[in-house]
Amino acid sequence: MRDYYRTRVSRTGPFTAWALLVVIFLCGLAPALRAQQADPAGIALGDKSNAVDAGGTPFVVPEPTDKADPDYATKKKAFDDYQAQAAKEPLAVKLADTVGHVRIATNFGWTLNTGYLVLFMQAGFALLTCGLVRKKNAAHLMMLNFAAYVFAFLAYYVCGYAFQFGAVAINAAPAGLGGTPTLNSFLIGSGQWGFLGGKGFFLSGPGYDAGSNVLTLFQVVFMETAGYIIVGSICERINFWGFLLCELFVGALLYPIFGCWVWGGGWMSQLGSTMGMGHGYVDFAGSSVVHAVGGFCAMALAVVLGPRLGKYDANGKPRAFPAHNIVFVVTGTFILLFGWMGFNPGSTLAATDFRIGVVAINTNLAAVAGAATAIVLWYFMFGKPDISMGCNGMLAGLVAITAPCAFVGPNASVIIGVIAGVIVCLGVLFNERVLKVDDPCGAVSVHGYCGWFGAVALGIFADGTYGAGWNGVGATTYLGKAGQGVTGLLRGDTSQFLMQLGGATLCAVYAFAFTFVVFKIVNAIRPLRVSKEAELEGLDVPEFGMLAYPESGDEVSAAV
Amino acid sequence: MKLIKSIIRPNKVDEVKDALDKIGIAGMTVTEVRGHGKQKGHTAIYRGKEYNIGLLPKMQIEVVVADSLLDQAVTAIVIAAKTGEIGDGRVFVTPVERSYKIRTGEREAI
Repeated sequence: MRDYYRTRVSRTGPFTAWALLVVIFLCGLAPALRAQQADPAGIALGDKSNAVDAGGTPFVVPEPTDKADPDYATKKKAFDDYQAQAAKEPLAVKLADTVGHVRIATNFGWTLNTGYLVLFMQAGFALLTCGLVRKKNAAHLMMLNFAAYVFAFLAYYVCGYAFQFGAVAINAAPAGLGGTPTLNSFLIGSGQWGFLGGKGFFLSGPGYDAGSNVLTLFQVVFMETAGYIIVGSICERINFWGFLLCELFVGALLYPIFGCWVWGGGWMSQLGSTMGMGHGYVDFAGSSVVHAVGGFCAMALAVVLGPRLGKYDANGKPRAFPAHNIVFVVTGTFILLFGWMGFNPGSTLAATDFRIGVVAINTNLAAVAGAATAIVLWYFMFGKPDISMGCNGMLAGLVAITAPCAFVGPNASVIIGVIAGVIVCLGVLFNERVLKVDDPCGAVSVHGYCGWFGAVALGIFADGTYGAGWNGVGATTYLGKAGQGVTGLLRGDTSQFLMQLGGATLCAVYAFAFTFVVFKIVNAIRPLRVSKEAELEGLDVPEFGMLAYPESGDEVSAAV
Repeated sequence: MKLIKSIIRPNKVDEVKDALDKIGIAGMTVTEVRGHGKQKGHTAIYRGKEYNIGLLPKMQIEVVVADSLLDQAVTAIVIAAKTGEIGDGRVFVTPVERSYKIRTGEREAI
């Protein structure tokens, strides 16, 4: 056997790749440093125009400009009344400036803090995936999780954020953060048919802005979540440089492109206005944008890599590689649940949006319903409830409720959680026994299948109590009712259901096909997989020169 | 002088230790070991897949006793470690030629 402690990892391939990246980086950075800044200190952010009452009616009455509007006379009178009153009470207007400032400040605090919760989910993913693999690969798993954060973040900073949100002020400015009016250009497409954002590269120019950077932080941790998902299905066999390439791909291209279409004011979000498809494609916190993208990317990578050595016996029967630390698995799952309290409620980007109470309880209900279903179902199928599947069930419920969490009630959340619990169990067995896709941590089933289902569930269960005017559709009336929000199939909006079904399926196909094509080519040029010898010994020493648990002294018997 | 090497269930260590204490045997060495007997382990289930756990965790207790104490010690171990089920373990007895105390270098005569 080779002495892996002394063997150097081959460096020519990675070196070329890195040199290329540094050149790209420097080419982009030079003009970026000279670009104009927006409002980095947030001095102009938050004034009387941001002061609104509980119903969302602004303090400032805007001057009507459209004289053809049938309500022009009423609006003009309201504007004149406001002007007269404001002239009489200058102190009230000054107070409104402060109120508007405090509203933005509250929402900054909320969005940043929920973003920090989502950041902590990375620790949960690290523990979960590390616990689920064999002891001999534990250090490798921790390094993958760690490096994912580091390198995907840099990719997102260089171009991911610009691709995703470079056009955000056009169709989707987050009002709760002061509208971040600084980014407003599509690189590909225009108006309501945008395909790729084009401002804010290197977070410079208009990307160097207080409001915009709050959004950046919140979104970068979402992108990281997609980046972490893939670790669960490619672990125990991918080499490190191949993995870094995967992370750069997710952070720079895969996630931002689809994110632009749905959250960056891109074409899918505008299909409600342009094609009459409900409120356009709606995904509240990312069942599809984050989880299905990550899950189907993970599936494509698992197919490219092939199963782990010994996973299938000579007859093609799957063999068990038991989790080496179930304590990590359960702890990690609970950390993820905790972090999800930032993921979903935080996606309002505003503490002044009181729907956060419902969102928080919906998220928890779906989580426990999913876990309960997986535990009971597994008990009936195999005679014993499997702890790791119970954890997968909880995550399945969380993934599925992520898109609909703001638009449904508690009962629908429980139903969604239960269905997700069934999907994840059957999905794990389907992948393993029928598709023969080796997915050590169940990432494809949890994030891919349940992410797809979550976006579709929104189209079924949305009850119309929230989201009036979402994506610019039905601000005054929708389905003939004033204040009607996003509505699903069960409340009579078939177009929303079809939109969700089509959008979620497109998401799955996009993520799988894009990843598959890119990494099939990469794999042909230089294999993504470690040598057979290294895989059998365990990846810790061949890849990083150290063991996760050196004091246990079982360098030989670690190969269990 | 004899070496008694007994391979027992992990949860029987305290009982065997107490039984040996009672007949005045002070020193012992306990090691975590793995192994199997005739049954060759048992099956477990992980995420719906059955697999065989061939080597089961056991504890190995080694004590050195004077020939006169041998039968008494073996009986004590067997009684204390017994459950009557498969997997109770084994006791092996081998002769010991010499024994030294490291601190003083003196040769012991048990």
